[in-house]
Amino acid sequence: MATICPVALDVSRLREEVRRTYSAVARDPTSEFHFHRGPDYAGSRLGYDLSELKSLPGPATAAFAGVGNPFDMERLESGATVIDIGSGAGMDCLLAGRRVGSAGSVIGFDMTDEMLARGRAAAGEAGLEQVRFEKADVQDLPLDGGSVDIVISNGVFNLLPDKAKLFRELYRVVRPGGRLQFADIIVGVELSEKVRNDIDLWTG
Amino acid sequence: MTELLEKTGFRNVAPRRFFDSFAGTTKERVAGKYQVRGANFIAYK
Repeated sequence: MATICPVALDVSRLREEVRRTYSAVARDPTSEFHFHRGPDYAGSRLGYDLSELKSLPGPATAAFAGVGNPFDMERLESGATVIDIGSGAGMDCLLAGRRVGSAGSVIGFDMTDEMLARGRAAAGEAGLEQVRFEKADVQDLPLDGGSVDIVISNGVFNLLPDKAKLFRELYRVVRPGGRLQFADIIVGVELSEKVRNDIDLWTG
Repeated sequence: MTELLEKTGFRNVAPRRFFDSFAGTTKERVAGKYQVRGANFIAYK
């Protein structure tokens, strides 16, 4: 399995392509994309509880585009402080907010204004005051060291070329004894330099 | 992924479950060629 993928692509162009792609998803999740979206996909392929997803505000679930299920691991404890890296439309933040309850807090970080707007509207509609969304560079989080119990994320780490920098930042903000529980894509074969530098494959 | 997380200082890093996240999409063939899958991971500090 490939674990380290040195790349020489244009990082600023990649960042803009990611932003463009996910802004388009936020504007119209039913458009044609080369990845699945929505609650039915999450329920049928990723093991989410579809009845719980149906109870969430539609704008948050319709634009969901994760690749796994961060909730299919350890239980999020009541009162925990949780952050979601690349929170998108906020579906996982809302689920986390229900699990940590009003004594906990959930912050979704994203770089896409349209996704942040969906998340904020959905949290308001769901009445989850413990859930909020912030625009931030996820490799330079506006958080104190050791202030986070649990980091969740779903299909976002693969979009960041400098994963070592991201992981160092997550290690900084997580408290001793805290944890990451996330989903991402993995590649089972060694990729050629040409493939690693193909932005269309990164944003796909 | 596991190697990089451990190098950062996280411990007990492990993939927990795998998903055919791209089955049925227009990228299914490419995903199959490069064995691309979704995976759940857990890692502790």
